[in-house]
Amino acid sequence: MASEEEINLLVIVVDVNPIWWGQQAQRETDLSLSKCLDAVMVLGNSYMAMARTSRLAVIASHCEDSHFLYPGKSWRTGDSSGDDAYSSGDGKYELLAVANNFIAEEVRKVMSKTEVRGNSTDTLLAGTLAKALCFGQEMKSRILVIKAAEDCARQYMNFMNVIFAAQKQNILIDACVLDSDSGLLQQACDITGGLYLKIPQKVALAQYLLWVFLPDSEQRSQLVLPPPAHVDYRAACFCHRNLIEIGYVCSVCLSIFCNFSPICTTCETAFKIQLPQMVKPKKKKLKQPT
Amino acid sequence: MDEEPERTKRWEGGYERTWEVLKEDESGSLKATVEEILFQSKRKRVTESHGQVRLGMMRHLHVVIDCSRTMDDHDLKPNRLTASLKLLETFVEDYFDQNPISQLGLITTKNKRAEKLTDLAGNPKKHIVALKKAVDTVCIGEPSLYNSLHLAIQTLKHMPGHTSREILVILSSLTTCDPANICELIKTLKSLKVRVSVIGLSAEVRVCTVLTRETGGSYHVILDESHFKELLMLHVKPPPASSSSECSLIRMGFPQHTVAYLSDQDAKPSFSMAHLDSSGGAGLSLGGYFCPQCHAKYTELPVECKVCGLTLVSAPHLARSFHHLFPLQAFTESPAEGFCQACQGELKDKSIFTCPICGGVFCSECDLFIHDSLHCCPCYLIPDGTISVCH
Repeated sequence: MASEEEINLLVIVVDVNPIWWGQQAQRETDLSLSKCLDAVMVLGNSYMAMARTSRLAVIASHCEDSHFLYPGKSWRTGDSSGDDAYSSGDGKYELLAVANNFIAEEVRKVMSKTEVRGNSTDTLLAGTLAKALCFGQEMKSRILVIKAAEDCARQYMNFMNVIFAAQKQNILIDACVLDSDSGLLQQACDITGGLYLKIPQKVALAQYLLWVFLPDSEQRSQLVLPPPAHVDYRAACFCHRNLIEIGYVCSVCLSIFCNFSPICTTCETAFKIQLPQMVKPKKKKLKQPT
Repeated sequence: MDEEPERTKRWEGGYERTWEVLKEDESGSLKATVEEILFQSKRKRVTESHGQVRLGMMRHLHVVIDCSRTMDDHDLKPNRLTASLKLLETFVEDYFDQNPISQLGLITTKNKRAEKLTDLAGNPKKHIVALKKAVDTVCIGEPSLYNSLHLAIQTLKHMPGHTSREILVILSSLTTCDPANICELIKTLKSLKVRVSVIGLSAEVRVCTVLTRETGGSYHVILDESHFKELLMLHVKPPPASSSSECSLIRMGFPQHTVAYLSDQDAKPSFSMAHLDSSGGAGLSLGGYFCPQCHAKYTELPVECKVCGLTLVSAPHLARSFHHLFPLQAFTESPAEGFCQACQGELKDKSIFTCPICGGVFCSECDLFIHDSLHCCPCYLIPDGTISVCH
């Protein structure tokens, strides 16, 4: 095992939500899914060309599942028997040609075969990030998320678990947001120390990817990069989903409420009505079990 | 107190033929057996779970460290005190990682007295600095179990009823020098609902057995350093809450982080309330967290506002504890082949783990990672087509 050459892994998570991309195609904007994947391939090729020990992985995050676009299933055994079919004709470094063809093939398969069932149209990003973390367990890695559709509030808990696991493993999560700001990704970037960028002009996606997200974390201190976004860490109350500054927290299940109520709606415990703790009880009796 | 039947001691049972566990394979190598044993011990941690039990999320824990003469012994390298302090540093970090809204305090005992090393606080840095400095203490005299427990009770008895009150004693000496009857103190501890656990470094001591049994804690004696680490990590997870602990709504503040630059026109530098007492702390700074009730500034969370008494936390701090409340189910093991859905690695000759809710298939390393750090299942498609969250 070469000890000086540490493997650096870049995992690119691409949001291929078919509903959002379909709406983009209908509106005939400049950015289509194929152009987005072209930009991703440019970034992937540049990253792999930077050092011999760089590894790339690309995962597509769909409405119901996530698929590895690259590498294929036999990467760990080093099985390269299928690679002979992918020789490129233009003299490109073979590894890059193989990667590009693989990604193009797999994304065609994913988009044509996966059905959108049920009434869920949100991209399930938390599961994809969890897979990316499992994939990059033994190596020094970082994750870049290219997000298209809006956040899904149901994933909050899974998302936070993934963020804390990434923080413990020192894995950076960067975010490149195409459309609407995502509070969850802003928190992820803030907690893990990554970069968050909402792209002003979608046409120039490749430019932003190469400028902002190609350098590694050690090189970022020497560059002037977009300033960190202001993250709103206020909690949302469970009853109205409003952001509150002062709230009441149930000591059993940690749910947050904006008003005092005698019963917690989440865990259904009845609370003892107590005075606020800063006032010492003088006249009223507190029920103290001795 | 002596009515409970004692468990049989090790020397009273029959012979344990420990050598029969090791089996050689054809080439005479023990590697496969050793790997199997390590694998089983890792899996044991994953499958133990409390189930649907209410846990004490907000904990007030005092750690009592024995600094008596026996801590100078060289059976743990370089000596017991240095090894214990090093493990405690890891313990403090993991404790605040898993219990972000809890507090910890350190007490040392030597020369028949007990002294507070650090007060009960929610910030890990102070404790780690104190632990690093404590490596230089001279280990003399005898410890005093009574005095250290008494000192811990002084602060714990004022804590509100919905928090869990715990004391963890790391005792290496076989003796203790107490000014009064410790049985009375045990009765007081029981009435105050304080849970005392002991980790012994030498041998089992009867007074510790009684103390932990009466207060509902656990008592273990270490075998070696890795066992010591394992026993310490057992105390990181929140314990089941006692049935008589109160449940209440705690009023908390969620301050916004304001970041100001010198180029802003309204930027006003201010002092942080947390550093008022320390002489060498940070001076004026521009941004920070402002208490929503009294607008006092703090540089770090979680903290209790010194001016108005409001507990200040941020939403991710509470989110860190959610995986205790909604633990992930253990996966079912079965021998099969295929590819791990999480890391895309091939599974040959190993068992696969299946999530009982969504049917996702994972290898053993991913299973360990999922249950130890991740706490959520990467795939969540239920076979009947509805999508849900695997919990």
